[in-house]
Amino acid sequence: MAQADALYDEIQTIAARYPQRLSAVMPALRLAQERYGWLPPDAFREVGEALDLTPAYCKAVASFYDMFHLEPVGRHMIEVCTNVSCALVGAQQVLEAFEGELGVEAGETTEDGEFTLRTIECAGGCGWGTVVSVDHRYREPVKPDDVPAIVEELRNGSE
Amino acid sequence: MSTPEIVTVTVDGREIQVPKGLGMIETALEAGIEIPVFCYEPRLGAPVGACRMCLCEVEGMPKLQAACTMTAQDGLVLSTAQTSAKAAEGQNAVLEFILLNHPLDCPDCDKGGECPLQDLTFRWGPGATRMRFEKRTFDKPIPVSPLIALDRERCILCYRCTRFSETVAEDGQLVAINRGAGSIITTFEDEPYRAHFSGNVLELCPVGALTSTTYRFRARPWEIQNVPTVCGLCPVGCNTWATTREGKVARILSRNHAEVDEGWLCDKGRFAYAHLTAEDRISVPRRRVRRRGFEPLSWEGALDEAERSLKEAGGPVVVAFSGGETVETATAIARLVKEGLGGGSALLPDTFHPALDRFRAPISAIRDADVCLVFGDEPVVERAPVLDLWLRAARRGGAEVITLNPAGSAALKPGSAAWAAAQLQAESPAEELRDAKRSLDAAERVAIVWSEDDSTGGVHALALAESLGDKASVYLIPRTPNGRGVAAAWGDPGSLPDGDIGVLIVSGDEAAGSPDVRDLAERARFVMTTAMFESEGTLWSHLVLPGTSYLERDGTTVNLEGRPQRQRRAVAPPAEDDLAFFAGLAGRFGVDVGPWPTMLPDDHAVLPEIESFEGEVSVPKTSAPKGGGKELAVVRYRSLFSGPAVERVDQLQFQRPQAEIELSYEDASARGIDRGAEVTVQSNGTSRTLRARVNRRLRKGVVRIPSEHAEGLQDRVEVRSG
Amino acid sequence: MAPSEQALMKLLFADAEGRDLTRLAEYEQVGGYESLKKALKMKRQAVLDELLAADVRGRGGAGFPMGRKASFLPKPEDSTKPIYLVSNADESEPGTFKDREIMARIPHMFIEGVVIASRVIGANTAFIYIRGEYLTEFEILRDALEEARNAGLVGPNVLGSGWDLTVVVHRGAGAYICGEETALLESLEGKRGQPRSKPPFPAISGVYASPTLINNVETLATVPKILEIGGAEYAKLGVEHSTGTRVFSLSGNVANGGNYEVELGTSLRELVYDIGGGIPDGRELKAIIPGGSSVPVLTADEVDTALDFDSMAARGTMLGSGAVIVMDDRCCMVQLGLRVAQFYMHESCGKCTPCREGTRWMVSILRKIEDGEASQGELDLLLNVCDRILGNCLCPLGDAAAMPVASYVAKFRDEYQRHIDEGGCPFHGDSTLDHVMAPVDQHHARIRAEIEVPA
Ligand SMILES: Cc1cc2nc3c(=O)[nH]c(=O)nc-3n(C[C@H](O)[C@H](O)[C@H](O)COP(=O)(O)O)c2cc1C
Ligand code: SF4
Ligand code: FES
Repeated sequence: MAQADALYDEIQTIAARYPQRLSAVMPALRLAQERYGWLPPDAFREVGEALDLTPAYCKAVASFYDMFHLEPVGRHMIEVCTNVSCALVGAQQVLEAFEGELGVEAGETTEDGEFTLRTIECAGGCGWGTVVSVDHRYREPVKPDDVPAIVEELRNGSE
Repeated sequence: MSTPEIVTVTVDGREIQVPKGLGMIETALEAGIEIPVFCYEPRLGAPVGACRMCLCEVEGMPKLQAACTMTAQDGLVLSTAQTSAKAAEGQNAVLEFILLNHPLDCPDCDKGGECPLQDLTFRWGPGATRMRFEKRTFDKPIPVSPLIALDRERCILCYRCTRFSETVAEDGQLVAINRGAGSIITTFEDEPYRAHFSGNVLELCPVGALTSTTYRFRARPWEIQNVPTVCGLCPVGCNTWATTREGKVARILSRNHAEVDEGWLCDKGRFAYAHLTAEDRISVPRRRVRRRGFEPLSWEGALDEAERSLKEAGGPVVVAFSGGETVETATAIARLVKEGLGGGSALLPDTFHPALDRFRAPISAIRDADVCLVFGDEPVVERAPVLDLWLRAARRGGAEVITLNPAGSAALKPGSAAWAAAQLQAESPAEELRDAKRSLDAAERVAIVWSEDDSTGGVHALALAESLGDKASVYLIPRTPNGRGVAAAWGDPGSLPDGDIGVLIVSGDEAAGSPDVRDLAERARFVMTTAMFESEGTLWSHLVLPGTSYLERDGTTVNLEGRPQRQRRAVAPPAEDDLAFFAGLAGRFGVDVGPWPTMLPDDHAVLPEIESFEGEVSVPKTSAPKGGGKELAVVRYRSLFSGPAVERVDQLQFQRPQAEIELSYEDASARGIDRGAEVTVQSNGTSRTLRARVNRRLRKGVVRIPSEHAEGLQDRVEVRSG
Repeated sequence: MAPSEQALMKLLFADAEGRDLTRLAEYEQVGGYESLKKALKMKRQAVLDELLAADVRGRGGAGFPMGRKASFLPKPEDSTKPIYLVSNADESEPGTFKDREIMARIPHMFIEGVVIASRVIGANTAFIYIRGEYLTEFEILRDALEEARNAGLVGPNVLGSGWDLTVVVHRGAGAYICGEETALLESLEGKRGQPRSKPPFPAISGVYASPTLINNVETLATVPKILEIGGAEYAKLGVEHSTGTRVFSLSGNVANGGNYEVELGTSLRELVYDIGGGIPDGRELKAIIPGGSSVPVLTADEVDTALDFDSMAARGTMLGSGAVIVMDDRCCMVQLGLRVAQFYMHESCGKCTPCREGTRWMVSILRKIEDGEASQGELDLLLNVCDRILGNCLCPLGDAAAMPVASYVAKFRDEYQRHIDEGGCPFHGDSTLDHVMAPVDQHHARIRAEIEVPA
């Protein structure tokens, strides 16, 4: 119960910042996701309990947003923007370089659970494409040639 | 309320006068024009404008507008698809978009014949399909619960069902997940839609996506009959249609009474009808011979037997009512006993103080209150489910709903209702009631709801209402559906005899199953019982008569407001009904009671005029309930999903209360009990194993257990993990 | 990256070169928070008058005059409900990354704008809804706010004025639609980010059903400058109906992509060639999207159009979010249509029918055209589907998909026709957008097979 209690308390602190507690549901889900790495059913139960919501409601909210993971993801998240601006300057080639380097396709997680590779919509770095978000920090611009070094760096754990 | 301004609106060239602010769909209807809608349903709150089916042209606006989101304003000129080519094109577009995914399997669909989408497609739909790509495919109907099946291919994502779940029932169970074209309707993981009002989504779904597992493929719309009646399973008395086919009830639908139910039903009212055909249904009269053997009787034979036994028995006569009898049946029994047998006393499930009528108001008026005070330890939703929806509506509308119970907004000790009502009349009430008092003083309209048994017939609520004057209305929730009508039909219950009883008349299954009645039966020479089902009670009765359900007889029932409503026979009972029997029996004793009801109320009954009461109301003294001790105080409540009818419906079993104990967060933590863990609950040698549920709103020192899982437990228990 | 400095008219970023304006002390050295001090000494209406005089139009997309929008709100003394300011920092329109740079480099100017605007409308709480992906920018903003709070610029009793302002930074979680103002409010309230039907407009019933002013980051960051130089002076910048400067996000096939702040009315040519360094690799300019992927495209011939609201409108397009995306002659316009439609399909919230189903249908037809499997009729069908989406949706997202795609077909009809005539893409794999994997494809391939959009 201790861990659930800690989450519960943290969520109360967040909820107190808003005029209405329901507003805390997204930050609470983010917090739970940081705990679990993704959002398993129990995460929805815990967030629900803390905010007086049903787990179904919490999942309905979470599933609307791309950054909440309803399935387990790798320890590292590599997201390649393939929207128009990045694609015009070679995003697909960057994506393919990652696919080759990691041995997975976009949307998949490596067998060792280290990396999830996925494409994302416009990340907001279009002038410096291709934008790649590595563990939520942007690298820009990334060229296919940069890819092995990025993967190597993550493998070596220098985060 | 001020009278609304009248404005002139033109719809398809027809000028009409309507109140300003009237919804545009209703405004068009006033002009005799129907605008097609899917997502629009005013009972679900503010319009959402999602499906876009209602697109219309509005003078002065470049784009088509969703008529459902507009209201009547003076001078507004609206053209629907009937007169505007642009609107027609817009509606065709939307219909085509909707049909992109829709399987058009109308011949196989339960909704076929009563489906708005089918009608529209027929009326407007494009002749040839321009879609040359695959439709979304899903697994064929999946169960959302044992009661409801969902066919996602048919779903048009109008969000009526989820809006009901979120904003009317507020159960938060049926939701849409994902985004865009990937959106689907679902419950959490594999959990069933387990909530008191789930069945309403069946009626809300405008297509055949949500269908009833109990009705699917059973009947086609042209083979059925709909009988207007009133639900007889709780004291709200929701108005219903009983759909029958080949002499059987096939489903129950709502029949909107704006003051009572607004067209909502609880799942018990909607689904419990299957108990009519339960296997253990008693269908012939019988009498007991020797110790435990029985012998069937003809109807005449039963009357003979009853007459003979009543004459022979001697000694006091006692009647135990169930509170589900019609007013007419209760009257027949009362007249038989009082006029034919020289009098007797009664065990009445509910009592009502006559002065309560002064504070009578329709249930719908709860929504207009600015403060609702809910007394009593039993959840309103378990006792009078649809009334709970009105309380929620009030809260959404800005009212303050103050619940005075151990898990309430003012978390009081168990058994505090009477004391709290008295405190709220005091100048300066106890600390924990001060906020409530302040709200009460500031309120302009107060609804007082009493949600537990009250042997005084409501005098505590009455006294509080009197202290508030004209601004209060009182809703005393009886335990039984027609407890109010039965109490009035009988009159003064008299006092039950102490020693031997000559005749005990047990009327109905609730009475037959009651431990109190069992005690009486042990003292009775002759016990005569009417019951639908076998129970312990029918075993110890000398004469057993087949009972009838509210769906099998005509008569009057009085709901918690005091509104007499008409129940109609939708299907025939297996034998004659109770009224016929008691009328016949009364006749044997020279009392003339008609075998069928006369002077029945209308199918949409109005509330009677408020009567003045001249007598004195004496209020017993109250005191604060005692607390303390290290044991935990038990609050038990009877779940809506209990009782003889529910027990006999397979599909309702998942709704029955779980073997759970609710613990406060503090008590759970102190005992190292985790959510979902097994705990042992103990009192005076009885012990039960239950699953723990942590309720953060529950007051420390109190536990809550559904009655059927609290049997044998005392009022104070020990709880430990494991 | 050294674009021709002369062409740049800098206002917001004027002092940012070579300084770390994320630090309060440095920002104060260049006159930071002086406008706030000024505003606190003025009557609310007087500050509003400056904004009205500046005639500054919203920088988020719709271009509604900011001062007018603020004047729609009830006065605090007339409102029974609290009044809120919401800053839209959800920046997700493809091609747009200006708000990000504003928050990263001049966060205090933005915060100062938030505080002044809150003051104008009498809000005691302001929310900044920042897109979830902007983690670094969130941290910068959070730290800047902390500094501002410590300096008494935000929080209780702002600069001793007796007026309290709480600023809450709320992070999104990846949903483009939350940039639409009513969806943003829903999301901020803790719901799925689906737009609301308007009216009521947020000015009357916004967050928590209370009066709310919503403005884009850049719009708010402009406010301190307007007060600094005066509304009338500000209005002299730019051209009529398009006053001031704008930060344009330049991207795509251009030598020097990035954000450039120029006076409104500057020509596209100047931005793309003089400032952006032109088209690299010796390629030819083919088309330009002038205001984010939701606006109709311009052809190379239209490169002399001026970057202002009216000039764009005259060309049947919009300035939108100020995102200029440049395409050279290697870009297949069918693939562009497909990729843009995929984006809007992915981001459609699912609430209203035409957008949810129409975007999906568009993607399916476009894919067939690209694959050479479409018949002649399907090209017209595509246009008809666009037409049936246009104007029929609950919010502008459906239009945002239909408008640009319809413009691609209209302006590059030949190229679309060739796909049909030649039974496939005339670029034969050499287009820059060839086989780009969009998030919908990755979902379709692995996660949500059931909503498949078959090829
Ligand atoms: C689909 C859609 C997405 C939008 N995204 C954004 C956005 O990311 N940022 C933004 O400021 N405005 C966005 N807008 C515009 C907002 O709805 C709103 O007009 C704007 O925030 C108002 O601020 P402004 O008047 O300062 O421009 C979007 C609108 C639509 C219809
Ligand atoms: S299941 Fe029925 S009510 Fe629910 S969204 Fe689908 S069509 Fe509407
Ligand atoms: S009925 Fe009007 S939008 Fe659905």
